[in-house]
Amino acid sequence: MQDRKTDITLSVETDIKFLPLVLSFSESSSRIFGLQDADALKLTLASEEVFAYLCRMTKDPGKVTLTMVNGFYYALLTFAFEGIDFDPRAFNLTANVSPDEEGLEEMGLLIAARSVDRMSIFHNAMEGTGFALIKEKTYPAADPWRSEEVPRAEGVTFGSPDAEEIKIFVRSIAGAYDSFVYPQDFRYPGKVVDMVQSGEYGVLTARDPKGGIAGGMVWRSSGTSMIECYGPYVFVEEGRAGLAERLVAELISAVARSEAVCLMNRYATDDLPPGYFETLGTIDFVLDGEKRPWKFLFRQLREDPGCRVYSHAGMEDFLKSQYKKHFLARQIVPVAYEGERQNPHSVFGAAFQQNQDLVVILPLWDGADARENLARHIEALRAEGIANILLRIDLGHGWQARLYPVIEAGGFTPSIIIPYRGKADCVLFTLKG
Amino acid sequence: MVNVPLATLVPEYIKKFEAYIPSRPDPELMKLYQVDHLWRLNNNENPLGPPEGSARIIQRFPPKRASIYPSGDSYYLRVKLAERFDLDPDQIIFGNGANEAIAFVIKAFCQEGDNIITADKTFAVYEWVAEFSGFEARLVPLKDFGFDDQEMLARIDERTKILFVCNPNNPTGTYWDEPKLRRFLDTVAGRQIVVVDEAYCEFVEAPDYPDGMKLLKEYPNLVTFRTFSKMYALAGLRIGYLAGSRDVVDVIRRTCVVYSVNGLAQEAALAAIGDDEHVARTRRHVNAEKSYLLRELGALGLETHAGEGCYVMVRLPMSDTLAYRRLMTKGVMIRTMTGFRFPNWIRVSVGVHEAMEAFINGLGEILPDGNHG
Repeated sequence: MQDRKTDITLSVETDIKFLPLVLSFSESSSRIFGLQDADALKLTLASEEVFAYLCRMTKDPGKVTLTMVNGFYYALLTFAFEGIDFDPRAFNLTANVSPDEEGLEEMGLLIAARSVDRMSIFHNAMEGTGFALIKEKTYPAADPWRSEEVPRAEGVTFGSPDAEEIKIFVRSIAGAYDSFVYPQDFRYPGKVVDMVQSGEYGVLTARDPKGGIAGGMVWRSSGTSMIECYGPYVFVEEGRAGLAERLVAELISAVARSEAVCLMNRYATDDLPPGYFETLGTIDFVLDGEKRPWKFLFRQLREDPGCRVYSHAGMEDFLKSQYKKHFLARQIVPVAYEGERQNPHSVFGAAFQQNQDLVVILPLWDGADARENLARHIEALRAEGIANILLRIDLGHGWQARLYPVIEAGGFTPSIIIPYRGKADCVLFTLKG
Repeated sequence: MVNVPLATLVPEYIKKFEAYIPSRPDPELMKLYQVDHLWRLNNNENPLGPPEGSARIIQRFPPKRASIYPSGDSYYLRVKLAERFDLDPDQIIFGNGANEAIAFVIKAFCQEGDNIITADKTFAVYEWVAEFSGFEARLVPLKDFGFDDQEMLARIDERTKILFVCNPNNPTGTYWDEPKLRRFLDTVAGRQIVVVDEAYCEFVEAPDYPDGMKLLKEYPNLVTFRTFSKMYALAGLRIGYLAGSRDVVDVIRRTCVVYSVNGLAQEAALAAIGDDEHVARTRRHVNAEKSYLLRELGALGLETHAGEGCYVMVRLPMSDTLAYRRLMTKGVMIRTMTGFRFPNWIRVSVGVHEAMEAFINGLGEILPDGNHG
């Protein structure tokens, strides 16, 4: 697991005279945590823009705390502050800057957002308020690989592999399976090793008596209530079904007493044994111009206590039919926009998955311009040639459920419910046409 | 409105935890699942209810007594149990359910860097309390559904403080017989605390089943747990206890929460002690209904596992958590076994016969085709 004792912290006032100190902190600490020159400079540039922005936004200097966290495969820099107002518009994928004074102020955030791999806003009781910037390390891609000696299913033992075994396992997956059934991180074995060390990925392998890797599974926490798993990946020729079932049972046992309540499998192989997962639904996925069914599989790790979900009237029938189909007990609470004051600007995030030509749009901030903003996102993504555009809302947040008319107007249809994916269940929408 | 600065007030290790959310009260669950009745077959509760003496105490409890603090250390209970087990009253500590006793023992003996040893597929609270308190829980895989004594011994190191043995094991119902438990205690040789959780001991009729209370005189590092929740059907009042050697219990007492056992629980438990007829009646009921369950489950073509205790494990050809939801829509609540690391198994408690029939009928309806015997 990640050792948080290695976090490096700097507290300064939002006064531009501290900028050199902030730059020196960002650059030195990101290098200490393994970023190479180009990546460290990009993160430093982003920190310059964010700090300058915060200084501009405060009339009287306030305290801001910078924390650099070693994520092993990334460096995370947070700016935590209190009492600073900011307009989050610049976080939109499609944000552009007008030449007026206000626009120039936000331009810095836009530059920061484009300099790093991920940039987000946090605002909650536990973490406070601030910006989080993530810059990932650069890793070499690996060639797929197949063992000359086929491993055997008999006498296997299950356990956590070491770094070299992880690399062999990941290469073996690429050598044996279609890229549709594993995440893009698997193209970089070194990254997977670092992700395991950071606690972000868990890996379980089956080793035959000669030490050959007969198969394995990978999992990743997705929020506190959900774990995503990938596989099972099986490299034996005889006894595949039995080994696959043991791998799945071992994986479930490994995460059964974690804090997660659900296990998702969106990268299932044909080796997945029946009876362990429920099918939530299937999406027509376009890959290399060809339509392929993309199954969303799920199982709960605990007894379902039932929950309350918010719903706009427009999607209530969909929710009711899905909940009945999957035997999910839910109390549906209706919500609607009733003329209350709104922030002027909305924010939508976009999570890209390059090797699968996929983007998932997420509403991050409510605002009066949501309809136009979403339309701009769709236009921009279509212009980029993205074949699969999805949108996900969390029914645990009333404001997200209230967005339904905006989402429908954007051309989306509700397709799949993912139980407990967020604060409550999430709905995944697909784009028509 | 004042903002509480949780970001700075809350320790980092607490931020990582999710709160445990117990299941909702029955009326709420019935509303959610739209059923007009609910057979509770998930918590191994005694369907016959408390012994007659306890029931009378509960019925006649004077409301005025609720305003009086109870005995802070369950004095009369300890005296009565000490007589029954030939112990000193100071060898016994009561808690608000046996779960509290688990926390007392771990808190008393473990410090940073220490570990406890138990099985991977057993009652989860030993593991949870250790992990939440920042101690390593070393989990030894079960062997043929039972605790693996040799492997547990092999995992001991200089930082091992406590070994937890659930006897009989929940959920598998396996138990160590007296020679095996003695061999284990002899090998440990007093170097660590050995906790034997006997929550279900009153259900066991096998003659070779060891009585932990009798072994206390020979093994000063032995601590036994017992409860009034299962056989004596006082789960709703939360009362359990531990017993050990005087020296060990003196240390555990330093970590105890006094006054945590309420007055009604103490009086009801006092009236339950020694009601052998209640125990015999419950055993007859459990044996009869277990036989019925095993016969019917066999007819459905399902693999089962049943040892001692008032419960049966069933392996399903479907997700146990899906089976839970589907059975709930039929008014039957069972325990899923994923949390016990037995994915796709369920545990069903022995209930009244009508509940057993409802369970068998409901299960027959939800099984995929081809699993109807």
